[in-house]
Amino acid sequence: MPEPARKAASAAAPEAPTVDAVLKALADPHRRQILRLVQLSALPAGQIAAQFEITQQAVSLHLTVLKKAGLLTERRDGTRRLYQLRPEALRPARAVLDEFWPGALARLKQAVETDHPRGDDPRP
Amino acid sequence: MTTTGELVASVHINAPPETVFPYFTDPGLMVRWLGSTATLDPAPGGVFAVEVGDSAARGAYLSLDPVRSLMFTWGMPGSDTLPPGGTTVEVTFTPVDGGTLVTLVHRGLPAEHRQSHQEGWRTFLGKLATAAAAGRPSSP
Repeated sequence: MPEPARKAASAAAPEAPTVDAVLKALADPHRRQILRLVQLSALPAGQIAAQFEITQQAVSLHLTVLKKAGLLTERRDGTRRLYQLRPEALRPARAVLDEFWPGALARLKQAVETDHPRGDDPRP
Repeated sequence: MTTTGELVASVHINAPPETVFPYFTDPGLMVRWLGSTATLDPAPGGVFAVEVGDSAARGAYLSLDPVRSLMFTWGMPGSDTLPPGGTTVEVTFTPVDGGTLVTLVHRGLPAEHRQSHQEGWRTFLGKLATAAAAGRPSSP
């Protein structure tokens, strides 16, 4: 099975996030909710934070994780910073999703056939 | 590719169904291929839980027909897009050439009901969350 080269987590540049960074960013319900809020239009951080019961500081940290994973674009509008979903960042993660069950079944095959090796030809 | 709310995957394994079936019901065998910890009670209504680190996939067995088929539900605690029990996975074990054809159908993904942009996106996030929770090939 091809093993993707693992990179240091902090080395992920915004324009080239790793699949791991994207999946980790998505593995949190607050961050997924943030992405839903900004999927169609850009919103300032304050307006995003107003949707949550967690602190503005916590929301700000979530925004940083999403930005580092390449899932958000940030642009200035006067003194405000506006955030919006960057859908193309999901492409590599999408490939992982499409491979989830096939990948799991491939590991199943490997496990069973390792645990129960057959020396003979299985075909009648 | 996976826009219909149903996902199908299959694999041929060089071992009979009697050998393969327990890999879906025995926790020690389950973690050989899915997740790092498994809590399984293989009876209708029994718990089906697989975890990796602090993420989890949770559900319950719906039916078991050893060694022909089984069904379980699949979801994530705290997920509004894919709650525990929110989707269904059916696995069938067909004897083929002295081995087993394992076919897995994951149904009930939210896109089945509505195909709007928003709903497709929610579905995608939910499925990604499941994939992230249940372990990736790059995990040690």
